[in-house]
Amino acid sequence: MEKDDGDREIEKEEEDLEMAELLKDRFRLSVITIAESEAKKQSMEVSETVVACIADLAFKLTEQLAKDVEMFSQHAGRKSVNMEDVILSAHRNAHLMTLLRSFSHELKGKEPQSERKRKKYSKKDDKSLQT
Amino acid sequence: MGDTFDPDLIHSIFKLVWKRSAREEDTPVIDVEVDVGTSKKNRPTTANSSALKVSCELLRIFVIEAVQRAAIIAEAEGIEKIEPTHLERILPQLLLDF
Repeated sequence: MEKDDGDREIEKEEEDLEMAELLKDRFRLSVITIAESEAKKQSMEVSETVVACIADLAFKLTEQLAKDVEMFSQHAGRKSVNMEDVILSAHRNAHLMTLLRSFSHELKGKEPQSERKRKKYSKKDDKSLQT
Repeated sequence: MGDTFDPDLIHSIFKLVWKRSAREEDTPVIDVEVDVGTSKKNRPTTANSSALKVSCELLRIFVIEAVQRAAIIAEAEGIEKIEPTHLERILPQLLLDF
């Protein structure tokens, strides 16, 4: 039994490793698209090595971010990560934090606020009708 | 906004990291307390969709900053192509900023 469990563990880890490679490749592709379009905006060329380095760094950052954000949510007694956890992970860089915060406000504003606005308007309309 | 990361991709990477850390934590724990808290501890961490979108934005900013800062150095040297040496110059501060 123990051997079976051990084998299963190893199999699982191998699967994970394959999965990690696959995800890493997909991630690299996204980085290439983003980096090259940004370089084009600056009317610059980027060497492949540079893009590969940036992709590797960004992937490591993602792994670190995953760990941070998991710890923050657990510290808050949650099992689910929310926007605040991600924003908190950038707490060392005030400027970055502001950027992320305004981005999160934009996200929030897209769907629920339109409803809120409608509700507010309807309330106002009601009041105006009453007076 | 143009190009950004796919939130699903980031979610899968997150899940992989969480699975890995859960397994590392689990192995010694199982020996000590078998049935205490297993139901709670085994429940994996999840992320909501807006958290993933903000993560994508964070990573996008990282990539863009790297390219922009390296581009400034390349431009100062009068070269039209960003080379590894340019990245090396900006790397320490970039890593401190993220």
